[in-house]
Amino acid sequence: MRRADAALDFAANAALIGAAVLLVLRPRLVARAANSPLLPKARDLAVAGARALVPPAPPPLSWHVSTARQLSRLIASYSPTRIATARALTKRAGRRLNGSSALLAFSVLADSAVEHYRGSFANRAMYTPLVTSALTLGGSLFGMADARPKKHTVRDTIYAAAAATGFAGLCFHAYNVLKRPGGASWNNLFYAAPIGAPMALALAGLLGRGAERVRDVPPRQRPTILGMPAGRALAAVAAGGLFGTVGEAALLHFRGAFQNPAMVLPVTVPPVAAALLGAAALRPNRQTNRLARWWLRFTALLGLGGVGFHIFGVSRAMGGWRNWSQNVLNGPPLPAPPSFSGLALAGLAALSLIEDETDA
Amino acid sequence: MPDRYPGYDVLQKRHSPSWNDQTRAVIDRRMAIDPDHHAFFSDAEWPTMRAICDRIVPQPPNRLHPAPVAAMVDQKLHDNSGDGYRDARLPPLREAWRRALAAIDAEATSRYGRHFHEIGALLQDDLLKAIQNGEVDDKAWGDMPAKIFFQKRLLHDVVSAYYAHPAAWNEIGFGGPASPRGYVRMNFDRRDPWEAAEARPGREDKARAENARVG
Amino acid sequence: MSDDPQHTPRAIGGRAPDVLHPGGWVPMRQYSDDEEVDFAIVGTGAGGGTLACKLAEYGFSVVALDAGPYWRPLEDFASDEHHQAKLYWTDERIVDGDNPLQLGANNSGKSVGGSTVHFAMVSLRFRPEWFKARSKLGYGADWPLDWREMWTYYSEVENALKISGPVNYPWGPKRPRYPYRAHELNAAALVLAEGAEALGIAWSPTPLATVSAPRGHSPPCVYRGMCVIGCSTNAKQSVLITWLPRALDAGAEIRDLAMVGRVEHDKSGRVTGVRYHRQGRWRFQRAKNVVVAGYAIETPRLLLNSATSRYPDGLANSSGLVGKNLMVQANQAVWGMMDREIRSYKGPPSLAITEHWNYTDAGKDFFGGYAYMSQGPLPVVWSGVESTKRGLWGQPLIDEMERYNHQVGLKIVGECMPQENNRVTLADERDQYGLPIPRVTYSYCDNDKRLIDHSLGFMRDALEATGATEIWDETDDTCHLNGTARMGDDPQTSVVNADCRSWDIPNLWICDGSVFPTVGGVNPSLTIQAIACRTADRIKALAARGEL
Repeated sequence: MRRADAALDFAANAALIGAAVLLVLRPRLVARAANSPLLPKARDLAVAGARALVPPAPPPLSWHVSTARQLSRLIASYSPTRIATARALTKRAGRRLNGSSALLAFSVLADSAVEHYRGSFANRAMYTPLVTSALTLGGSLFGMADARPKKHTVRDTIYAAAAATGFAGLCFHAYNVLKRPGGASWNNLFYAAPIGAPMALALAGLLGRGAERVRDVPPRQRPTILGMPAGRALAAVAAGGLFGTVGEAALLHFRGAFQNPAMVLPVTVPPVAAALLGAAALRPNRQTNRLARWWLRFTALLGLGGVGFHIFGVSRAMGGWRNWSQNVLNGPPLPAPPSFSGLALAGLAALSLIEDETDA
Repeated sequence: MPDRYPGYDVLQKRHSPSWNDQTRAVIDRRMAIDPDHHAFFSDAEWPTMRAICDRIVPQPPNRLHPAPVAAMVDQKLHDNSGDGYRDARLPPLREAWRRALAAIDAEATSRYGRHFHEIGALLQDDLLKAIQNGEVDDKAWGDMPAKIFFQKRLLHDVVSAYYAHPAAWNEIGFGGPASPRGYVRMNFDRRDPWEAAEARPGREDKARAENARVG
Repeated sequence: MSDDPQHTPRAIGGRAPDVLHPGGWVPMRQYSDDEEVDFAIVGTGAGGGTLACKLAEYGFSVVALDAGPYWRPLEDFASDEHHQAKLYWTDERIVDGDNPLQLGANNSGKSVGGSTVHFAMVSLRFRPEWFKARSKLGYGADWPLDWREMWTYYSEVENALKISGPVNYPWGPKRPRYPYRAHELNAAALVLAEGAEALGIAWSPTPLATVSAPRGHSPPCVYRGMCVIGCSTNAKQSVLITWLPRALDAGAEIRDLAMVGRVEHDKSGRVTGVRYHRQGRWRFQRAKNVVVAGYAIETPRLLLNSATSRYPDGLANSSGLVGKNLMVQANQAVWGMMDREIRSYKGPPSLAITEHWNYTDAGKDFFGGYAYMSQGPLPVVWSGVESTKRGLWGQPLIDEMERYNHQVGLKIVGECMPQENNRVTLADERDQYGLPIPRVTYSYCDNDKRLIDHSLGFMRDALEATGATEIWDETDDTCHLNGTARMGDDPQTSVVNADCRSWDIPNLWICDGSVFPTVGGVNPSLTIQAIACRTADRIKALAARGEL
């Protein structure tokens, strides 16, 4: 594999030197070729080919690297394929994180709209998460389509606002629970403002910020967040988010007495995925990463399947869909499960960043 | 007295998920009761009964569909549908009412020289208060204690008839029939969009607009 | 359905209504009148219905008869108090004494499923000491039952009904977690909670027999607040939708619109079956054993109406106690007005409770205990309180009723003492079947009055502490009925033994609220069902030993 890698690099290097010679001798030709629409496609093909041929590299067996190898790595780091690969990777991770943030924002928008309507918007502040999550959703959709390797200031600001709103919401909800008779009692945890729900918005914001950091990286550098390699940092956030969401689902499914056996799925599957993600962040290896990847995919699917179960739950309440004006508000929350999918996607993005980080 | 729930009508919800088939059938029958029809009370007793109901549960004169209270009590007596218990001091349902109506008219005649339904609201209230306090002694009562009759029969039958009617539900802002749709918001000062909106002083229009949307 | 369940029996032709599916039927095993079934049970409520299920599941042949109709809640029940009076025992009964009782809608059902079709679903366990009220607490009489044994039967019933209760219950000994979680509190319940916290006592969401999450074909409660006029969604776990479908499945027969008029006996004194009226004529069902489970008025009435020359005072009445020791529970209340909108009619009537005065003995000048709960009266009932109890009528009544959505209250379930002169006897009048109707005589004793006064004072304080104003006492109300065929371990002072078997006639049993020697300060339905489960186990054991 390494030989094929080196051969491709040599070919790319040769092409680079050849292009440099051509530029000096025939500048106009080079200019026209650079503007040709075929060039991006060719580049993408080359990158795709390089990606397909280059599997995730195992971690280096020893920290001690010979000078020759260091030199060859230095040259290779200038390789356009390498550069293209890395940048495409971060761009794709970035767009994936935007996507994950979009899913979370959508879930929060729909859920908070229904639940705050149920709460009659008694406190004016209850409009805020609707506005913020709508902006986050819009910005994230834009981010998913945006292929530019740059962080976007407006998006970044929206994400910061989302994170702030989420944390503020947590405080509001905690106050709502504690001020009722009984304080932090089971009954209030079940029926007063859900403690964990604003965290979904906070996570949308944090992951979105991660998306922007990850795509805005100078060449030959790995993206970092707060000094940590981005993959690991985002894995921590995604894993933490998954555990938190599991807690929320566990609380509400406990309120529902786990009356349907499927209700144990969101409290058993995502924790395993989160644990594996955490393990991959701390000690990445091919085995762990593969397991983590599959469990995260399973969790993502579960998020969608959960919507189906909740639809069934609404339909079997008294009056079914005809009584939607009560059952959509009282029944199992339809937009809540996709937050698992959003976090799982973020976990998958973090995982590929981790793999890239260890592929040194 | 201004309307506390202006424009609120439980019947607006008749085709909503708040009503089911059985409820519609039952309430339709109640709304179709002819207020002037009497199968149990005689023609002589009927005006007395109407007058009593008007004093016990007075309704606004401009009400579009007033509750036919006297006719509903008449139906109960015609069907002889009891409540499942009778105070030992009272005769059975039908006899208690017949005797009481005769006695009430006798009281009015002996005090004011006219029938109960002719003596005007103020004097009617006075007489009813006297009966409630047991301060009547006409021999027409026989061994039936007037005070007990008033409390356990008259008030019970007349008041329960009135508050079984949608007109009364509208007046008190009751949610009305509720099946399959029940209620979502149960906390203080919260109403579901299909419940009555209370008119705060100076905000009657707002409540009226909300009640127009009830359904 | 185009049939009329109040005039035409539904449980005939080898099938019974499937109460969980509109228009559905379940197959029902039928026995002929001449077939001597193992058990003929009179009444299908908390006692009779539960027992019918358990005995059938243990393999006995069972025919359970009920005077009431076989309702299909999903189709038959309207959201209307007046119409739903069809659920109650509205046949005439005479009430007298110093404190004549309110019967009918207040405490007497006439339905397959008994009073559990209209009950408020409050499901509480007895305080253990109450089973030894005389020896441990100095009043009333001891039950011939051990609380630890009852504890396992309480668990069985709570699981069978999937009681929705709090994760931690503040009173009593350690108990397993309620199978389902408690319900959301409405504003009336929050007022109770605020008041309790202000006075420094514990409170709790009430354990209720209505589900807070889906259960089989039962959807979760929609908080329509019409529990006491019949649950039209089947969220309420009444005997009709829980024990009886199991009973049918296990081969029991249920006969609706079957009024039992007499229990017959043979020359040896043993009962031989029941004489009942169904479809226009009198019939006789032969049975090896008869269980009377008509609740505390109809049970003694039937036993007294079954008098013969051999038993001139009625069946099982050598102690003379059949019909005596009638107990109700004090149901006094304190009401007030709030600026905040309460709209207490939303949700089950009693969503919050405190049993503080059931478990606290200090600071009382009376024996016994009481619990108090939040309330949510419907318009007709509330208008009855404001008029017949408070005396309002005319424009003052109209004005007061207009404030319906701001009223709030607290109501007790208080322990009344057993007194022999509180009793059910036969009156001279006859009902539509030609049977003598009951006369129900009731008067409070001094202990009852002291308990009531204490509760009114305490609840007034609790309500005042929440900012309620215009507080007034409702002093004339009672609930439930018990005691008229009490159980004991001495035939001279009781009617049945601990197994609900009558002392006088070994194949005559009584299994309903009549058997309570004391009534406690909690609603009786859970205890009645637990006794029925225990009785079934005892019958099974006795049968195995050939002692039946």
